[in-house]
Amino acid sequence: QTLSLSVTPAQTAAWRKQVFEQLNERTKREMDNFRHYEQAVEQSVWVKKGTM
Amino acid sequence: MADDKDVLRDVWYGRIPACFTLHQDQVTEREAEPYYLLLPRVSYLTLVTDKVKKHFLKVMRAEDVEEMWLEYEGTPLKWHYPIGVLFDLHASSSILPWNITVHFKDFPERDLLHCSSNSVIEAHFMSGIKEADALKHKSQVVNDMQKKDHKQLWMGLQNDKFDQFWAMNRKLMEYSTEDGGFRYIPFRIYQTTGERPFIQKLFRPLSADGAVHTLGDLLREMYPAAVTHEGAEKRLQVVIHGIEPLLETPLQWLSEHLSHPDNFLHICIIPVPSD
Repeated sequence: QTLSLSVTPAQTAAWRKQVFEQLNERTKREMDNFRHYEQAVEQSVWVKKGTM
Repeated sequence: MADDKDVLRDVWYGRIPACFTLHQDQVTEREAEPYYLLLPRVSYLTLVTDKVKKHFLKVMRAEDVEEMWLEYEGTPLKWHYPIGVLFDLHASSSILPWNITVHFKDFPERDLLHCSSNSVIEAHFMSGIKEADALKHKSQVVNDMQKKDHKQLWMGLQNDKFDQFWAMNRKLMEYSTEDGGFRYIPFRIYQTTGERPFIQKLFRPLSADGAVHTLGDLLREMYPAAVTHEGAEKRLQVVIHGIEPLLETPLQWLSEHLSHPDNFLHICIIPVPSD
């Protein structure tokens, strides 16, 4: 269970908005021009265990 | 307005484009082409660079190959720090992709830990989780987990499985309503200069009178120079996952949403770029 932090809505809006906006900017800055790059970790990993 | 859960996904799926180049002193049988990869910010270099290693081994003689290590502009990159921390600390003002130099000899023993296999990274990662839970819940949550639960956290990180990781990690993020937060906030403050690699002390999410502690409160106590006074020129940036949260941001919220998978809030203090 989580507790809502006791800050006023106005304050909440400012710091939370800043985090959301900056994460979006970070995605644009660091990823948008590089989506054609290979992922270091493949998204669908099949691990087969056992012996041949 | 986006949901707080979106922050967890954004943090998890943060990627840094990198260009790996073999160091000029390495002897090769034919020319070594650079290798381009998107690196997960929350992972570890030695965990996600198998492809880089294989790529360069193809052009090298086996006798010239020792343990691989990586460097950026003369700084050996510590694999035991999260990738995003290394980038924010050493390279955030550089032009992307991040140019990383690959070495297979002259391992810098004084700067780097050896990493012979993924089990070394797993042990390091799990010790971080355990240390963080000791601070947050006196180790009660991590000790109540089974071995397979610990494995689930590790496998989630290793295979980049957000849902698998968070199905277990959410337990490490719980706290009782009456406590109002964790016992202590697991954090590390990094700087590029100074004798100590990072600052880590005990700090509670709430003050003695129950007021919410913010990022600014933490910095004023741990690293006052990082807090710019009104009217003064800003010299240092406080960076977490490549962003600069406002100093008013509650520390408990940051710990729950911007911690790395090892459950620590990794905070980088870097000089403002001079352009």
